[in-house]
Amino acid sequence: MRALRSPGLWLALALTAAAGAWPYFTGSASNREVAFTILLSVALASSLNILLGYTGYVSFGHIVFYGLGGYMGIYLLSERGVSLWLAVLAGGAIAGLLALLLGASILRLRGAYFALATIGVNEAARAFINNFQPFGGPIGMTLNFRLYDHYGGAARALWMVYGVMLGLTLLVILVSYLVKNSKFGLGLLAIRENEDAAEIMGVTAPQAKTWAYVLSAIFPGMIGVLFFFKNGNIEPHDAFRLHLSIEMIVMVMLGGYGTVLGPVLGAAGYQRLRGMLLVSPIFKNIQLAVAGGLLLIIVLFVPAGAVGWLRHRVPVLRKVLE
Amino acid sequence: MKRLSWTVLSLLAILALVLAACGGGAPAEEAAPTEAPSSGVSEEPAPATEAPGAPEAKEVTLKIGFTASVTGKYEVSSAAQVNGLKLWMDSVNEAGGIELSDGTVVTFDYIFYDDESNKERVQELYTRLATEDNADLLISPYSSGLTAAAAVIAEQYGKVMITTGAASDSTYQQGYTHVFQAYTPASRYLTGAVDLLASLDPNVTKVALVYENSKFSTSVVTAARDYAEAQGYEVVLFEGYDPETADFAPFINKIEAAGPDAILGGGHRVDGKAFAKQLYEKGTPIKFFALLVAPPEPEFAELGDAAVGVIGPSQWEPLAAFTPASAEAIGATWLGPLGNEFVSAFEAAYGDEPSYHAAGGYAAGLILEGAIRSADSTDPEAILAALNGMDLMTFYGHIKFDTSPENHGLQIGHSMVYIQWQRDASGNLVKQVVWPKEGATAEAIYPIR
Repeated sequence: MRALRSPGLWLALALTAAAGAWPYFTGSASNREVAFTILLSVALASSLNILLGYTGYVSFGHIVFYGLGGYMGIYLLSERGVSLWLAVLAGGAIAGLLALLLGASILRLRGAYFALATIGVNEAARAFINNFQPFGGPIGMTLNFRLYDHYGGAARALWMVYGVMLGLTLLVILVSYLVKNSKFGLGLLAIRENEDAAEIMGVTAPQAKTWAYVLSAIFPGMIGVLFFFKNGNIEPHDAFRLHLSIEMIVMVMLGGYGTVLGPVLGAAGYQRLRGMLLVSPIFKNIQLAVAGGLLLIIVLFVPAGAVGWLRHRVPVLRKVLE
Repeated sequence: MKRLSWTVLSLLAILALVLAACGGGAPAEEAAPTEAPSSGVSEEPAPATEAPGAPEAKEVTLKIGFTASVTGKYEVSSAAQVNGLKLWMDSVNEAGGIELSDGTVVTFDYIFYDDESNKERVQELYTRLATEDNADLLISPYSSGLTAAAAVIAEQYGKVMITTGAASDSTYQQGYTHVFQAYTPASRYLTGAVDLLASLDPNVTKVALVYENSKFSTSVVTAARDYAEAQGYEVVLFEGYDPETADFAPFINKIEAAGPDAILGGGHRVDGKAFAKQLYEKGTPIKFFALLVAPPEPEFAELGDAAVGVIGPSQWEPLAAFTPASAEAIGATWLGPLGNEFVSAFEAAYGDEPSYHAAGGYAAGLILEGAIRSADSTDPEAILAALNGMDLMTFYGHIKFDTSPENHGLQIGHSMVYIQWQRDASGNLVKQVVWPKEGATAEAIYPIR
């Protein structure tokens, strides 16, 4: 457990925990909502990073796990009356199961072919849900407001969901770190650099890739349940929104892919920027254009992402920034 | 190399500055100065123009919060809705506000954010509106999906929210007590078309429902199917198409194979136009054709001959003639401008004819105004009670809400009007109201081919 003594891990956890505790100190529901969006992105980006950053497989349709998990959870909550906790676990389980089944087939593809296949999977899932009556088809499902009473009313329920989200985000970061510093993670990094060479050196690539895929799918599945529980309803086009999938990749690339801290900073920075522009009196009407311009500048000048750039520029930081 | 790194550094510095500048309005900053002047219910003594004896004549500015889809797929409809709401607000404020019996003068101000037509930040923004911006009253975003997310927040903070542009019934079946619907709900969107068909030709038995696979259109046609079946019609085809469908040939073939007399369905603007055009080009022999959303839009006339005879449900039409007399007839209170006054004010302000989305925005404002007038107070509880007991007639039609616990806030007063594209005497395409009979401006063409 030498790995647990690394400053890099604690830095990432401390930053997230500090940012996550901010709404508790201010007691402001508005801050909580802002922080929820940020934590959601941090957790999604960090999960994706296990596949994208460590293994080098670009999944454009990663949001399928979030959508499917969300659907499973909301179905259990509203139609079967199970508790939120069980629904969250079920959301993670169904996402992991889908990844396990998919992994066996589409992870054989490499590069652009894999990326295309993941988009196809997302679109197929959306089309399926759109025609699947138990999940409400195109109408989706709506949670009854009284459901929140089981958790002490809507106000308490939203704070509770936030707490769970914070815990889950910290867990994702811990898992991301442990994977990176394990033998399994080194195998993934080897696959990223050269899959054929990695196999010759004794990495069982298909197996390692599949487990990386499963691991990176479970958390989005659980997060989906939390988000749609908070949101009160779910529809196919919200659950399987390709746009969010692409934003996840942008966040990982911004912060620095393949690092533990990178997706955390990238996601937090990206969402904070978008959130600020949306409510800023000057920029709110042109917020998308401004956000796009800023992203372009960052990608042009800091292609390795914030953490990658710092590690490259300031060698001392290499020990601290994982 | 050195120079390059300096360039990068200076760019980053500029970036940081820009970010810091944006931070001014950020949620993290407490009480950003931009919000100070109008935060909460600001109570300022009115200029002392009243007689010396008039006790504390004061002005209260109520802040109305909402999100609008400034970007994204709902941009056009949402902009119309916001324009309608702003027009109402301007007219109230220019008239000097609403005067209550205790001498208080109520004026309105608004604050809104862009929801980008997606659900991700709707709750974040509504929470901000309810808690930080201290909006007194809320208006829904455009579309049922975004409204469902916003309703959770409105209910949680006990803020009254008038929903407009959100027809889906399900939002009002979740136990909310602060959410009130301005639109006729989806379940009654096409039922009037079935009644119209029955009045035109009692011998028709076979209908086909072909619709877009989306939340709104599916809810509408499911209700229409149940209604049609209850009226004794045989639904020979019940078929959904993907929202991106551009080629309707396979569906038209299925329709021809099923041989219905009437077709009901559609979805939104683009698919509805394509469907009507291709059905006309194929020459499918049908007698009655009603589509959602697309026909009431003025641009539907671009279809030329293919538009003739197409019927569309509309929340409101410029031709609709509700008057104080019609209010008296049903014992409701009349409020606001007449239909033609609204149309000319809207045209003067924005330069084009208002759609029903714009009228819905204006109506949402009128509902708030009506509630404040009848409550004679700005107290949220009194406004809520006034909404529950509301029986209002406006240029937009009748407004009354369901107050049962199962469907609280559902619109039960307002009903759809049905328009049909027809050729006038000089051969131009015009919209005529053909149903309900009381508001009809022309006889419906039947059969259409």
